[in-house]
Amino acid sequence: MSVIEKLNALKKYFVEEYIIKPNRRVYVFKSEDLKALFQDLIKVFGYENFYVATIVGTDLISEGKIRLDYYVNLLPDEVTVVFRTYLPRENPTIDSLIDIIPGVLSGECETYDLVGVVFRGNEFLKRGFFVPKEFVEQKIYPLRKDVKV
Amino acid sequence: MGAKKVIEVPYVVELPVGPQHPALHEPLLLKAYAEGEEIVKVEINTGYNHRGIEKLAERNNFYRNIFICGRVCGICNTVHANCYTRALEYLLGVEPNNRAKYLRVVAMEFERIHSHMLINAIMAEILGFDSLFMNMMLDRERIMKAKEILTGNRVIGDYMMVGGVRRDVDEVKRDKLIKLLKQLRPRVEYYKKLFIEDETILKRLVDTGLLSRVNATKYSFVGPVARGSNVRIDVRASDKYDAYGDIPWNVITYKEGDSWARMMVRWDETLEAIDMCIYALEHLPSDGNPVPDERRLPRKFPEGESYARVEAQRGELTYYVMSTGGVNPYRVKIRTPSFLNVIHSAILYPGYSIADLPVIFVSLDPCIACMERVAVVDVDEGRRRLVRLKDLAKGVY
Repeated sequence: MSVIEKLNALKKYFVEEYIIKPNRRVYVFKSEDLKALFQDLIKVFGYENFYVATIVGTDLISEGKIRLDYYVNLLPDEVTVVFRTYLPRENPTIDSLIDIIPGVLSGECETYDLVGVVFRGNEFLKRGFFVPKEFVEQKIYPLRKDVKV
Repeated sequence: MGAKKVIEVPYVVELPVGPQHPALHEPLLLKAYAEGEEIVKVEINTGYNHRGIEKLAERNNFYRNIFICGRVCGICNTVHANCYTRALEYLLGVEPNNRAKYLRVVAMEFERIHSHMLINAIMAEILGFDSLFMNMMLDRERIMKAKEILTGNRVIGDYMMVGGVRRDVDEVKRDKLIKLLKQLRPRVEYYKKLFIEDETILKRLVDTGLLSRVNATKYSFVGPVARGSNVRIDVRASDKYDAYGDIPWNVITYKEGDSWARMMVRWDETLEAIDMCIYALEHLPSDGNPVPDERRLPRKFPEGESYARVEAQRGELTYYVMSTGGVNPYRVKIRTPSFLNVIHSAILYPGYSIADLPVIFVSLDPCIACMERVAVVDVDEGRRRLVRLKDLAKGVY
C-alpha cells in the first residue's frame, strides 16, 4: 500500500485537496481538527514513518487570514504532503502538537515569533526566539504584511 | 536529639557556551546544566542574530533573491541557490538541459565533500587530534580549488540560475577536476580508515550521543544525523532532482545511532560524492549550452506556489515560494537542516559527561563550526562534600 493510499484513512478531516508545484499534495482541514488529524496520522503511520519537515505561516492580509501549512514527509517513500489550515488574522490561535510530536518545537516557536500564531499548550513559546529585542518591545511580528522593517 | 548528618543537595552547575565564544562562528547559546560531570539538561537558546532574509526576499525580485539565498550559508551556498532556483523553475515551468543538470550536481557534491571534510576535521580537533585536523584541512584545499575552477569562487559560487548554470566547463578544466578528485579519493579512504581503527577516536565517539531510530523521526532530525540512526531519508533519492536520477550512487545509513555513526555516514558520503562527481564529469552530456540567455526569462512570475527540497550537506533543506503574479515573491520560507538538528538536539546530551558535550554537538554538524572546550565552574569552593542527587536517591550519603 502506498503512503498516499494510507492517507485515505484520514480523509474525513479533509475539506479540499489540490497540488502545489512540483507535485506536493495539499490537504485542507479545519483548524479545530488539527490534533485529531495528527493523532490519527500517528496511528496510521507510527512515529517511525513520518516527520514534520516544516511549518509555514503566511499572512494573507487581503483575506484577513493566516494560512498555516504543516509539511510532512511520509516514509519510507519520503513523499511530501501538506496539511493546510486557515486562522483568523485578528486572533490566530491553534492547538500545539508539541505534546504528541516534539519535532514541531522549532516550527511552532518560529511561527509564533515571526508571524504571531499562538500554539495553545506550547510552554516554550517566547518572543525573541529569533527576532531582536526592539521587535519584542514594539510587539510586532516581522513577517506580517503590514509590518515595515 | 541533634542531627547527625547534614545532607546538602548539590548545585546544578550551569555551563553557558556562547552566544559569543572564540570558537563559535555563529551566535547560539547552549546552556548546559551539570551535576558533577554529568549533564542533566541542555537548553538551546537562539535569537542573537536575526538576519531577516525571508522578509528581505519579499522586497526583492525573484531573480535577485537567488544571490540573497546563496548567502544564507557560506558552506552550503550552491544548495541554497539550487533549491530556490528550482522553486522558481517549478513556478515558471522551466527545465534546464542535461548538461546543466550534471554540472549542478557536480557543484553541489563538491560542497558536500568540503563540508563533510570540514566537520570531520573539526571533530578531530575537538578530540585533541590537531595534526589530523590540519592534514584534513590541507587535503580539503583540493576540493576548494576544484570548486573555484568550476564556479569561479572557492566559497560563494553563485553558480545557479533559472534554467541552468552560470558557467560551462571546457575539456581542460574537466580533466583538471577529475585529476583533483582522483588525488583526493585515497586521502579520504585513509581518513575513513582512521575513524574506523583509531582507538582514541573510537573511545570518544562510540556510544556517545545515542539517538534512537524512533526519536530521529519523532524529533524531526534530518540528514546524516537521521541516516546515522538508520533512517533512510535522502532527498536526492526521493525527489531525484537535477541529475541525481541518472547518476549511480547509494544512500548511506548506519544502525548505531551514535556520534561515530554520524561521522561515518559523512565519510561514506564523501566517497560517494567523489565517485558521483567523477562519473558526472566523465559522462557530461553535450545537449546544448548549459548557460541560458537571461534576457529571455520573464520578469513577472505566474501566480502559484512551489515547494522545493534539496539534500544539503546537513540534511533536507526546503524552500517554499509563493507568487501572486508580480515581480517579487509574496512569501519565501526557508527551512535549513540545522534549524531542526540543532534546536531539537537537547535530548542527546543528558546522561553524558561534560567532555562529551562538544563531541555530540559537533557530530550534528551544526552551522556553528566549532564548540571547542567548555569551562567547568567549580562551585565547591569550601570544604563541604557535595552529594549528587543520584547518590542521594540511592541512599549513598
